[in-house]
Amino acid sequence: MDKKNKISGLQVKALVITTVIGISILSLPSTIATILDNSGWVAIILGGLVTVPFIIMIDKTIELYPGKTSPQISREVLGPVISNLFLIIFLCYLILFLAYMHRSAAEVIKAYLLETTPTEVIIITMLLAISYMARGQIQDLARMALIIYPIIIGFVVFLILVNLPSMDYTNIYPLFNINFKAIPKGIWTIFFSFAGYELLYFFLPYVEDKEGALKYSLKAMLIVTLVYLIVFFVTLSQFGIHQLKREIWPGIAVTRVVDLPGLFLENLDGIVIAIWIMVIFGTIGPILYASGIILAELFKTKTHKLFILPLLPIVYIISLLPDNLFETYEKLGSILNYFALVSIVIMPTIVFIVAYMKKRREKA
Amino acid sequence: MKKKTILVLLMISAIFLSGCWDMVEVNQRLFVSSIGIDLNKGNAKEKYIVTYVYPNINSIGKNASEKTKKFTVTTTSDAIFQAGSEFSTQVQFPFYYKHLKVLVIGEDLAKESKLVRQAIDGLNRDTKINSKVQILVAEGTAKDILESKPPQDQITDGTIYNILKNNKTASRFTPATLIEVIRDMDTAGVTIIPRIKLKGKDIKIFGGAIFKNYKLIGWIDEIENRALSLIKNETKAELIDAPYDDTTISYKITSSNSNKKVEVGEKIKVDLSLRTEGYLQEYILEENVTSYDDKVLKEMEKAVEKKLKKEIEDTINIAQHKYNADIIGIGEHLSKFEPKAWNNIKADWDQIFPQVEFNVKVDAKIRRTGLVR
Repeated sequence: MDKKNKISGLQVKALVITTVIGISILSLPSTIATILDNSGWVAIILGGLVTVPFIIMIDKTIELYPGKTSPQISREVLGPVISNLFLIIFLCYLILFLAYMHRSAAEVIKAYLLETTPTEVIIITMLLAISYMARGQIQDLARMALIIYPIIIGFVVFLILVNLPSMDYTNIYPLFNINFKAIPKGIWTIFFSFAGYELLYFFLPYVEDKEGALKYSLKAMLIVTLVYLIVFFVTLSQFGIHQLKREIWPGIAVTRVVDLPGLFLENLDGIVIAIWIMVIFGTIGPILYASGIILAELFKTKTHKLFILPLLPIVYIISLLPDNLFETYEKLGSILNYFALVSIVIMPTIVFIVAYMKKRREKA
Repeated sequence: MKKKTILVLLMISAIFLSGCWDMVEVNQRLFVSSIGIDLNKGNAKEKYIVTYVYPNINSIGKNASEKTKKFTVTTTSDAIFQAGSEFSTQVQFPFYYKHLKVLVIGEDLAKESKLVRQAIDGLNRDTKINSKVQILVAEGTAKDILESKPPQDQITDGTIYNILKNNKTASRFTPATLIEVIRDMDTAGVTIIPRIKLKGKDIKIFGGAIFKNYKLIGWIDEIENRALSLIKNETKAELIDAPYDDTTISYKITSSNSNKKVEVGEKIKVDLSLRTEGYLQEYILEENVTSYDDKVLKEMEKAVEKKLKKEIEDTINIAQHKYNADIIGIGEHLSKFEPKAWNNIKADWDQIFPQVEFNVKVDAKIRRTGLVR
């Protein structure tokens, strides 16, 4: 491993936050409100908690094999055949994730900003832009993340500030009228808004401060959960539960409801979405990078740069497969959910358990 | 070789980076500022009469070349936006809806729940239309109101929008934006939309139209709207005239706060308590000091309280017995704070609401008496 290519704990935190928070935050409040009504916050908190054991497992696995990248660890732990199978599934998941992100981002951009631009053009430009980012090293991604991280925090602060005057706080009631039967479904849905933490596999081996890494990753997840909660409550109190369910992207629509004092700016949605595109890059950049790394391991090449460009047409084609917005979210989204279940829940658990057993046996 | 490639690439990129080749100048766009919709009676297919108002851009600025401030176009149509494409046969430039400010619904159309829903959904769905569009209901037709030329006509936003926007000294009407109307309909099923009327050449916005399930069921006037806005904490400032001794005092409300307490038992009991603060605006000039006396002030407070209490009780009475519309927001309050009880009575709310017992308490405070004693 390259000695110079190290990232700090703060950079890990920024990377996790920017990777996890992406396009789904814009639609998340209405998705969760459809399932759980006003008590959607329960699912957001529980969804955040569910990720904790997996983050700990990823961290421990990497701690057991210092100085090795994740694909190398998986090869050592599981043997070449199973390891390759796992990597291929993981790769499929990442590609589907990329396609899904591109398509839904393109739909948002088309709705709010570039109405006459063809979807294809939006997707191609986004792909080309991130391909440059993904050809870099982990440190480049980390620096990018440090730029994008304040944008997310700034967005949340801005969202609270502009909405404060016109919010109707009573809309968040009833808070405790919880439908317990719907909670598992709520967590299942919300959990994939927390997807992205699995890329810790690719971040953690490069961290300088190994002990602090876990703390930083968990802190990042805490911030993500808080951001989701804030966006949920702000949109809920602004729209009321029924209109919230009706909106497709309440996170962005909420900026159309507000009045800025002095009326010097109206229709903030275009400006906000333009800034938000950067945040989307913060998500898809690392994912494309990780796909490149996996391919480099599968084909045993020294650099991952070779595989970035050939990946683009695949992502492009998949992203254009769904006919409409509904198919994007419901069909592509649900296929993605099953891949995600395998790659970010089941595989980390298996890898961790096997690695732990092997190490114990070696000691004994 | 390398230099040449870069040069060629740069030249090609210049073609793609030029962003302004399909720009539209601002005077080649028609910014729709108000839309009016009326019912096209006796026509099953084209149910709407749609009126668009757009400002004359050439009349804006120091060296305005034209005097006409606004243009209106009208057509029959089967949807609001359909009208836009029908107008394209009459007007020179395309319409832009991003600066739409006002929607006026004609009285006859307002009575057709389905058509109102269709219009509101169109606005709610559109990506360019702002959720802050002000909605009004016209007594008569929306077309007449939008075509009227009030003497003090403003340049772009139009008189209606300015009246609504600068409503800071009274609550004779309560502005309702698109998103507020939808929010109220969702949570309460009832909302109040300001009422607009032609009075000679002038337009007058006052009181409100009661909408129940997107259908106009009745009107309320200024005084009732004032009482309602006091109950709902929407009052910014208001002047109350109350009889005292044998004259009238004017009491300026500077802040008010109302609280609802709903008890669900065999019967639903509501305690409405209203606290207002303000100062004395007007009394009577006499040789002696008139109002600089605690006893007098307390009595004045009593008079104001009595007056306000009566107004509020009358309004509640109208809501309960005349229109059977929960404009006070009791159902909404229950659904938020007593969700379990609400689920049981939700279906029969129309039968239950007229029987709700109200207990109104008003506490008015006169804090200051102006500059004189």
